[in-house]
Amino acid sequence: MFEIGLGHYLTLAAIIFSIGLAGVFLNRKNIIVILMSIELILLAVNINLVSFSIFINDLTGQIFTLFILTVAAAEAAIGLAIIVVYYRNSGTIRVEEIDQLKG
Amino acid sequence: MIVHAIFFYTFSLIAVVSAIMVTVSRNTVHSVFFLILDFISISCLFIMIGAEFLGMIMLIVYVGAVAVLFLFVVMMLNVVQQKNTLFESVSDGKHIPIGLLISLVIFFELIIVIGGWKYKPDLLNSISLNISSELTNTHSLGYVLYTDYIHLFQLSGIILLVAMVGAIVLTFRKRSGLKRQSYFKQISREKVEGVDLVTVDSKKGVKIDV
Amino acid sequence: MELEYFILFLPLLAAFISGFLGKFIGHRSSEIITSLFTSVSAILSILVFYKVMDQSYENNIIISTWLNSGSLNVNWSIKIDALSSVMLVVVTLISALVHIYSIGYMSHDPHRSRFMAYLSLFTFSMLTLVTSDNFLQLFFGWEGVGLCSYFLIGFWFKKESANAAAIKAFIVNRVGDFGFALGIFLIFYLFGTINYEEVFQKIPQISNKEIVFLGIHLNAINLICILLFIGAMGKSAQILLHTWLPDAMEGPTPVSALIHAATMVTAGVFLVVRCSPIYEYSQLALSLITIVGMTTALFAASVALAQNDIKKIIAYSTCSQLGYMFFAVGVGAYNVAMFHLFTHAFFKALLFLGSGSVIHSFKDEQDINQMGGVWKRLPYTYILMVIGTLALTGFPFLSGFYSKDAIIEFAYLRGSTTGYYAATIGIFTALLTSIYSWRLIFKTFHGSYNNKKLDIKSMHDSPMVMILPLLILAIGAIGAGYLFKDLFIGHNISYEFWGSSIKFLKPLSQDHPPTWFIFLTPVLVVISIPFSFYLFVKNKNLVEQIVEGNKSLYLFLKNKWYFDELYEFIFVKSLKKAGHYLWKKIDIGFIDRFGPDGISKLIKILSLKAVKFQSGYIYQYAFVMLIGFSILLTFLIIK
Repeated sequence: MFEIGLGHYLTLAAIIFSIGLAGVFLNRKNIIVILMSIELILLAVNINLVSFSIFINDLTGQIFTLFILTVAAAEAAIGLAIIVVYYRNSGTIRVEEIDQLKG
Repeated sequence: MIVHAIFFYTFSLIAVVSAIMVTVSRNTVHSVFFLILDFISISCLFIMIGAEFLGMIMLIVYVGAVAVLFLFVVMMLNVVQQKNTLFESVSDGKHIPIGLLISLVIFFELIIVIGGWKYKPDLLNSISLNISSELTNTHSLGYVLYTDYIHLFQLSGIILLVAMVGAIVLTFRKRSGLKRQSYFKQISREKVEGVDLVTVDSKKGVKIDV
Repeated sequence: MELEYFILFLPLLAAFISGFLGKFIGHRSSEIITSLFTSVSAILSILVFYKVMDQSYENNIIISTWLNSGSLNVNWSIKIDALSSVMLVVVTLISALVHIYSIGYMSHDPHRSRFMAYLSLFTFSMLTLVTSDNFLQLFFGWEGVGLCSYFLIGFWFKKESANAAAIKAFIVNRVGDFGFALGIFLIFYLFGTINYEEVFQKIPQISNKEIVFLGIHLNAINLICILLFIGAMGKSAQILLHTWLPDAMEGPTPVSALIHAATMVTAGVFLVVRCSPIYEYSQLALSLITIVGMTTALFAASVALAQNDIKKIIAYSTCSQLGYMFFAVGVGAYNVAMFHLFTHAFFKALLFLGSGSVIHSFKDEQDINQMGGVWKRLPYTYILMVIGTLALTGFPFLSGFYSKDAIIEFAYLRGSTTGYYAATIGIFTALLTSIYSWRLIFKTFHGSYNNKKLDIKSMHDSPMVMILPLLILAIGAIGAGYLFKDLFIGHNISYEFWGSSIKFLKPLSQDHPPTWFIFLTPVLVVISIPFSFYLFVKNKNLVEQIVEGNKSLYLFLKNKWYFDELYEFIFVKSLKKAGHYLWKKIDIGFIDRFGPDGISKLIKILSLKAVKFQSGYIYQYAFVMLIGFSILLTFLIIK
């Protein structure tokens, strides 16, 4: 237990991943929390990659993490822009009231 | 080693707790703050583990840019005033057990994968990029990124550019009715359409069509 | 391109043009085109007939192969021999005259191009029927004329009674067709072919073969003949399957003239004569035909006595004369039957068209009790109808005299008790025929003017376009008998003329019946004229006393021997119930429920349920994806 190995880091990543996942569909507050949960998921993936990279002494994981970082930032920006425009048009960002995809 | 363990457990505890609080807290601004805390703790973890460049970058980019962006939007959209709780919605909390169940299922599967996975025996021999202990993390990353992975680097730059342009395009609002100077129109005006000679009767005035 | 093609396909072409392009070319053009084409067809048929008469011309033109499957080889063909050429003349000539007549009769109808199209289509079907060289094309023409008859009877389809009559005609015909189809199947089963030539050749070989039909052992040839005759009974309105003919008078009068006097109803006679090689080997069938024909003749004549609708009287008269034709066939005198068919076409069409003229003048009044006393005002119609009636009753030296009396003579010459019995009934029926025909003339044209609605001064004769066909028919009615009797039924010339188209196992007897017998019928017929005049014009009270005294007999005759009521009771009620049940419970409730309706309802329900999946909430979509993902993961891990 006190010997921190790869498994511990991976477990940590798994926990954060599941929490992020739960956050996507458990919240009824607003869309922004969903975006934040997605950021959490990406964070968990980052932890995974970095811990693997360190423990195997392979730099590839960290490079990949950099790119994920980039993309996550871009995606957060666009996502928020969409939310802003949506709010302008419909006046609400409550999740229950966003059901225009209703078939 | 025990110090390592203590640090690890501290940071991971903070990370997990704040992750939970992101989802659960009632105030959206609090959610953003907890997200920031999460990022910081993970960043510390990265620094501890030896990938300090990444940790710093995470602080700068994630906390400094993304989380602040979140905060901007939260403030702008007046989300604070929409104080809803998890249980105020139409179908109560009926969805919670199932959701939790599914998350737990996925979590346990991940654990099973971690625990029961047999790693390749020669895993350490199939390294593509060796981490040298002389160079700093920054140095070694830079060593590789601008040479072997230059294309990907540029590509991610383009992605960021596109994201920026996209965000602007999406949210750009043109106000109608503004009077603006249009140089092109000014210069391309001809005498014919610019000046009009009119004989005016006295005391009658001239009708001007704008 | 040989003549025969034109004869057959000109009416078809006219039907297409008039039917599909009638709206564009206008009514007048469709009338002219159809009449012109059928007239050309008629002229060509006369030419062909002349060729057959003069040079014993025979031909079988194969237009194309229809079916070629295993041992079944059926062609579309035009077979010309004596029998079919006679029918060609009859059909096309009468059809052309009816077309011309309809130009005048239907001049006020807004749908006349459709009418002319149907008439031409009917002509084409009938021509296909008579020029076929195999049973299948015959059946095709058979069905085609039945179909056109349905169209034409129900031409004024907004009238409820016309629709009902059309359906009745079609269905009663259908019953006959069922027997006919069984006959064709049996022929194919026994001979492996349905072409006339081959079947007729092989008939003598199986003359002793027995077949089990519905558990009964029957001689094969007898069975074939009886089945084919059932078809003929339906088409020619013989007793038991006659109920459609009077109701078919719902159609316009030209239709009755064409279809129910000259052509469609004679298809049955044509069928039996065409199959004379088969019938000659089946004594049983011939006797059956004789009995049926006799009974029909008597039955129809008796009913006609008590009818008041001018067209119905003539319709029953047709039924009766057809009985005579079958009667002749039954005693083996096929050529006499054809001769009677030939002359009958002329005078019956004349009578129908004349009655149409009368109806036209009386502004669509058909009840003879509402007519009377107009012989001076409708001179042409009157004279022509008198000519027709004289011919029908067998007045000496007109056409009916030769043909009808020949039939009665041949019956007598059979010698046996059935022969004498048959001859007696034939003479009695001739008497009845005479009485009701003159009744019609006298009540329509003589006596006092009984019409309540129209003034007698407004009576005027029909336009020339309607009188001209009547004139031509009258010429035929007068002369056709004398001119053609040697050709059709003369002793030696007729065998040469008919050649192989009619088969006689043994030649017809050449004797003559005793002189008193020969004179009996004409004398009776001539005497009946003043007799009827007395009854129906001078002393009407006598008739009324007779009617009052025999009220039940009168009602029995007036209600057509209660056949319709009988059929209604036996067949119609139960079949209607069965049909209703099958429709509601099985067709709608079972087949539709598990078929289209049920499936579409099911799909609707399922899709409504499936719609709930798309709630519009993104997190639910994400949730579902997640569930799927976890299942996949579990699956992979367990593997």
